[in-house]
Amino acid sequence: MEYGKEDLRDLFDGRLPWEKMKSIMSRPKDDDRFEKYIEILQERVPWPEKILMPLGEHLSVVRKGEDRIVKCDCGHEFGDWRKNWKLSALIFVRDTTETMEEVYPGFKSPDPRLCEIREFYCPECAALLKVDSAPVGYPVLFDILTDIDSFYREWLARPLPDEKEFRDLTHEVIREWAKE
Amino acid sequence: MSDPKGIGQGGKTLKQMLEENEQLYRETGCYAGMTDPHVLKEDPVRAELFHSRLMAALIAGRETCRMVSGSPFVREVAELCLGLYTPEGDNIAQSTGIQIHIKLMGDNIQWMIRKDYEEEVGIRDGDFFIANDPVISGMHAADVYDILPIFCDQELVGWVSTVIMEMDIGAVSPGCMPTANVERGTDGLKFLCERIGTNDRLHRDFEHKIENSLDMYHIFLLDRKGAMAANIRVREEIKKIVKEFGLDFYKQATRELIEEERRNQVARIKQRMVPGRYRNVVTAEFPMSKQPVAWIPAKVDTIRLIPVQMDILPEGRILLDFEGAGEWGWHAYNATPNALWGGISIVTVQTLSYDGRGNLGSLLPIDVKEPLLDSLLNPKEIKKLATSTPWAPMLDLFGMWMHMLGNTYFLRGFREETFNYRSSAGWQMAGYDQLGNKRPLLAAGTGNFGPGACGVCDGVDCGGWLATPEVDLGSAEVWELFVPHMEMSRRFDPYSVGYGRFRSGLAIPTVAMVHNTKKCVASAAVGTASDGIIPNIGQFGGYCGGRRNTIHVRFDNFQEKLQKRGPLLYELGHPGDLEDRVREMGGEIVDHGLLPEPMEVVEGDLLIAGSGAGGGLGDPIERDPASVKEDLDNGLSTEWQARNIYCVEATYDGQAKEWRIDPDATSKLRQDRRKERLNRGVPVKEWWKKAREKFVARNMDEKIREMYQSSARLSPVFAEELKGFWALPEDFVL
Repeated sequence: MEYGKEDLRDLFDGRLPWEKMKSIMSRPKDDDRFEKYIEILQERVPWPEKILMPLGEHLSVVRKGEDRIVKCDCGHEFGDWRKNWKLSALIFVRDTTETMEEVYPGFKSPDPRLCEIREFYCPECAALLKVDSAPVGYPVLFDILTDIDSFYREWLARPLPDEKEFRDLTHEVIREWAKE
Repeated sequence: MSDPKGIGQGGKTLKQMLEENEQLYRETGCYAGMTDPHVLKEDPVRAELFHSRLMAALIAGRETCRMVSGSPFVREVAELCLGLYTPEGDNIAQSTGIQIHIKLMGDNIQWMIRKDYEEEVGIRDGDFFIANDPVISGMHAADVYDILPIFCDQELVGWVSTVIMEMDIGAVSPGCMPTANVERGTDGLKFLCERIGTNDRLHRDFEHKIENSLDMYHIFLLDRKGAMAANIRVREEIKKIVKEFGLDFYKQATRELIEEERRNQVARIKQRMVPGRYRNVVTAEFPMSKQPVAWIPAKVDTIRLIPVQMDILPEGRILLDFEGAGEWGWHAYNATPNALWGGISIVTVQTLSYDGRGNLGSLLPIDVKEPLLDSLLNPKEIKKLATSTPWAPMLDLFGMWMHMLGNTYFLRGFREETFNYRSSAGWQMAGYDQLGNKRPLLAAGTGNFGPGACGVCDGVDCGGWLATPEVDLGSAEVWELFVPHMEMSRRFDPYSVGYGRFRSGLAIPTVAMVHNTKKCVASAAVGTASDGIIPNIGQFGGYCGGRRNTIHVRFDNFQEKLQKRGPLLYELGHPGDLEDRVREMGGEIVDHGLLPEPMEVVEGDLLIAGSGAGGGLGDPIERDPASVKEDLDNGLSTEWQARNIYCVEATYDGQAKEWRIDPDATSKLRQDRRKERLNRGVPVKEWWKKAREKFVARNMDEKIREMYQSSARLSPVFAEELKGFWALPEDFVL
């Protein structure tokens, strides 16, 4: 089972006719999807670093020299993928009735005494990268930490050079902040 | 004296078979030790025919039950399912329907086996067993399991089980899934795998018990008869299949179906996911302080965290960990480790194993770390507690898990499988129906929720119900026959949406008028208790839908208003001015709470349940303006949303009767929004410093503080993580 890149591009952009989209949803999955996905994403960015792993609508983990960093489509770099990229973003927190109601008017609004709507923006292109709804005081969620080397080595059978240890390094950022 | 002969294979007892099976799995990692499954492979056409026959038997059984039952839960929204099990209680195949119960029905069978039913109670051909105790296994007490053994000659070769959700199980009002109950006795009738029939006939003493115990005894008994008919039909079909294919083939092939599915599931995980660590958190709110409960210590409002970590491991397994889940409480929402498997089952069969071959093998590659004892997910005192609605936090927990799986599919490029889910709001009633009978009055148009966005298109409007992909709203007219209310409308609510480049599906709120009852009490229903904090299921820049609402409206001089044909409320409209509109109509909003306690309602009162949809996906200001126009033209969005959320300038052309988009003004609105974000946004470090000061000063709502204390009391790991993120001193105590 495989699909042409044209169809996949249209699929990702929401332009594929429903009949075709439904067929892709229902049929057995295509084994080469990831490779074509990466090629399509790579075609769309203006920078040369190789995409190793998508992280969302605008973010990817890319290889830069010996490092793997999170990078926005616009070119903004967020640092090592093992450190929560959100800590390097801009944040706007909706924690008052007034700011909540800009999105959730009237009785649709969560309770600002209990809940925060945290919006994370790219500092360069201002894309809205993630909206978190969190209880007040909850740590910034590190939603996705991919085990990139195991993935390439064991699932794709083509290990990456310069393998890195798979572990969360976010605490290093916090430790630095705490010193200031 | 020789050992008693067992009813299992070769004279073994079922317990021996179960223990041997478990040992073989531990030793080989393959179901029943099947390291070389071959029967299905040797003749694929025969294998396919065999599986089709099993499925046909189960689906025919389900339809048989629908024909016999009188309950709209069964006939209208089809809240039932059948499963076929091995002698050890392992699921081989399941019908369409509420496929939550793959493992839960099997757990009841295994409970009987482990409790030595074979010797102490007896298991014979034609015996019917009934179970509904979530302490043994289940999602809530309203789900009733009817279990029938299948014998060939003198050997038990399997089981068939039907699950039906009941409208009445004799619980404290409203009688099905009460929320104002905290102690076990208030749950109503509990059946602990009890024999209620022999020789294919229901015991007359059981019928007497039901007739004297339940208001809706006729519905309950018809459901049992429906389940019996379904089970007998499946049993007889299985006997025919055994005769046709041979008993040895049946035994081998049914076990191979499980092992084959286990292997397929591992392959699907490796094909569609990305190994790594995925995290999120559910918050469950329990506003119990005003609930009329007799156990006074229960009258306290609490919030509990359920952190969720999913590790996708390189070997193709999934590990779920809820470390940090808060403590149990005196309410009906505590779950059990077993109940977690209900959520895992339904998400699994809807996102991975949706080819009709889902069975126990779908679940074998998934592990759950045992939730900490005395957490909300594993209370030591579960036998003392009401278990009418563990389902409620489970719904949000597994809607969240679906969102987490959606993230990994998205990363792998299978964006079309990205999806998320959230439960609804709801009302339930108890009182006198139109015919003067006092009884529970639960109307459950469960198919009205808005699921989250897909990764390649908008979510399906009114298209989400986690428990089953099949369920629908049912006919308003049929519900009106069962419940003394009139549905005012069925319209999509534009404000239920989760915004995004792809938006969520929209929900249809319930707007029902109480009608033709002499006394009636209403209270909140499942799924309404957690929206001071909305779920965190917006994806990649999309927002989660807003709060779910249960709203009670009462009009002054209702009869006079009717006679004068005055206006009534039939849709929610803009959430910001509902109160003003109701007041203009001569009414008032009586209650607008998170979990309305039981209250008396009268003729003309409106009970409104407004669902909040799941999450949108992607930045809303990147939504195609043509999609915004389409929604406006179809009444699925509003000018306010177009301008303020999607930054699309639209005006209505009254002559052409359609909306016009101004591309230049839209472009400017979007540029301005980006500038505004850069102005409003601050580096996270700056925000962290200020937020940390507030945290250190304990400047937070008391319920939030107690929520953190509760999780930290149970879990040192959670306490360390919390301290780590806020760089708190070692001796800091919240």
